[in-house]
Amino acid sequence: MSTAEGGPAAGPLAPDAAGTWHRVHPVSPLVRGWLALAAIAYFFGRDWFETLFRGDQPWAASGGRIGWTAAAAAAVLLLLVGGYLLSWWFTRFQVTKDHVRVTSGVLFRQHRQARLDRVQAIDIVQPLLARIFALAELKFEVADAGESAVRLAYLPLADAQRLRAAILAHAAGVELDPAHPEEAPEAPEHPVLEVPGGRVAGAAFLSGTTVFLLLVAGAAAALTAALDAPAAAAVLLPALFGVGAGYWSFFSTAYNFRAAISPDGIRLRYGLLETRAQTVPPGRVQAVSVSQPPLWRLKGWYRMRVNVAGYGVAGENAAARTTLLPVGTRADVMQMLALVLPDPGTEDPLAVFAAGLDGTGSAGGFQTSPPRMRWLSPLAWRRNGYAATATALLMRSGALWRELVVVPHERTQSMALHQGPLARRLGVADLRLHTTVGPVDPRVLQIDAAAARRLFDEQAARAAAARRAGRPERWLEAPPQAGPPDQALRAEEQPGERAGGGTAPRGAGRMEGGNSAGPEDGGTQDHGRG
Amino acid sequence: MPSEPIDPPGIGWTRVSPRYITVRLLGWAAGTLLALAVSSLPLFLLAGMLPGFPPVPAWLLPAAVLAVALWRGLLIPRQVRAIGYAERDEDLLIRSGIFFQRVMVVPYGRMQYVDVSVGPVERAFGLASVKLHTASPATNAAIPGLPAAEAARLREQLSARGQARLAGL
Repeated sequence: MSTAEGGPAAGPLAPDAAGTWHRVHPVSPLVRGWLALAAIAYFFGRDWFETLFRGDQPWAASGGRIGWTAAAAAAVLLLLVGGYLLSWWFTRFQVTKDHVRVTSGVLFRQHRQARLDRVQAIDIVQPLLARIFALAELKFEVADAGESAVRLAYLPLADAQRLRAAILAHAAGVELDPAHPEEAPEAPEHPVLEVPGGRVAGAAFLSGTTVFLLLVAGAAAALTAALDAPAAAAVLLPALFGVGAGYWSFFSTAYNFRAAISPDGIRLRYGLLETRAQTVPPGRVQAVSVSQPPLWRLKGWYRMRVNVAGYGVAGENAAARTTLLPVGTRADVMQMLALVLPDPGTEDPLAVFAAGLDGTGSAGGFQTSPPRMRWLSPLAWRRNGYAATATALLMRSGALWRELVVVPHERTQSMALHQGPLARRLGVADLRLHTTVGPVDPRVLQIDAAAARRLFDEQAARAAAARRAGRPERWLEAPPQAGPPDQALRAEEQPGERAGGGTAPRGAGRMEGGNSAGPEDGGTQDHGRG
Repeated sequence: MPSEPIDPPGIGWTRVSPRYITVRLLGWAAGTLLALAVSSLPLFLLAGMLPGFPPVPAWLLPAAVLAVALWRGLLIPRQVRAIGYAERDEDLLIRSGIFFQRVMVVPYGRMQYVDVSVGPVERAFGLASVKLHTASPATNAAIPGLPAAEAARLREQLSARGQARLAGL
């Protein structure tokens, strides 16, 4: 990745002590503003074409009008291009050892700075047009849940990848070769799974969108029969547009989905037209849910979503970005769970998680709603429940729309017990865990009040213990309590392992070990200590 | 009502100031007057247009509003007395509600910042509200109606404990 670029100016995008300022690629304004340019071209071009097809001489006939049109077009174009150029010229960024800084704005200047070790996720996004130019946008997320902290659009793809590697290396606390600080090796990665295209199409076909389509079609047919007016079927049209958009957005974001693991965390790549590569460093996943729409049960498919601070729910493509696995078999789910939760904290993780995915009753150590709840939740009472392992709390719910939510103990923010009048009469209560903004809402519904109170106390204690033993923000550093400081120092000074091929097979072995053989304690610290 | 609360046993709850009942009642009175005025609009309009007595439904609306408001007003003292908090070694417990009870635990290490806010009415009664924020917007941990000195003490205490037990995200 970074070979012989030793010179001071050669590695243009490397973090350096001098703090060189860079600009994004000059073509970027065009790639960002192509829609406006295309609109202008369409507007004036159509005018011109119509004149042409009427058989007039376009430049001779009504020369004054054409002249004015051309002048207006040129003026608008000039303004746009000028604006783009100015904004490009005034947008500069800098990556130092600890921070990434961006200044932007022509009239209203903005200077933004984000700490590298606070990174929650890094995305490399390539919209279709950017792919043509081999450009990419780099998004740097911190825990804010609003807009991306830093967006660099657009960089040459190779530069974006190198910058990502450098940022992750600094954020991880890897000590780089002081003679060549710009040589941050890309962390070796090991592919975990990919989703076949056929399965994506099948999953779209069997999704809730199809159920909705069938319902609407049935309603339209009934309406047509009742009114005896075939025109009533026209109500289907808007629904069809919505359904088509639903299929398309699922297919285009789940297409070519691949997941990989590296010492820098989970790597996800996907996309049909716009491709995206996400990196979520270790310990940044706040909560994960595995759900199964009713029709997917036929094929045994599941969907996984995550809460990552910084992804939020409202931002662009938030639904796709928070998807850890758009559609996967149970084996895929187990593998991804092993990535998110390297240490499942139980002797028999397969049995426990399988019970969480589609078990009922107390199998796998789950504590469910008391039988008296069968009047209120005739189907779900056997499913509603929780199980705690040494490292995470598993929350199970839903009989038709099955869901399993896993929250690592060290990621619990706060929690609350709720009980309404009816629940009090029935002697049950709900427990809600609070996590960062995201699609996953961890909660245990309708469990026995005494059990809920016990879980509340135990969970508070478990979360406190997990916080004390928590891993450092710089994930390749040894944790502070692991040994005397000199040991931690030595661990920092071993970047070779990161660059060498040694980590990948071992990381893979650990991952599969977590999947089938059981937990390996302290696996998360392996990379750093060597 | 079966009155077994969902609180964990053996917690010594600190209750908020009884003066907060007055603050809540003042707010309640203002809200009730406004709601009554709005819901009486049809009554006045109809009374102006039609001579004689306005129809019964026009009376029913403000009457219903008043009934609901009275019920809520009666609950306020109990609701305020139900608010409580307890400082434990690792976390802060906050409880509230009588019908819809809630017990929340906020670990000190998870606090991002602490807000102390004082409204004009609260200031007149020497009260303040403390609100804890974590990285989760679902953490709605507010303790209203604290005496100003207690609010300041709690803020300092929470900040100090948060510093000592600081955890990442």
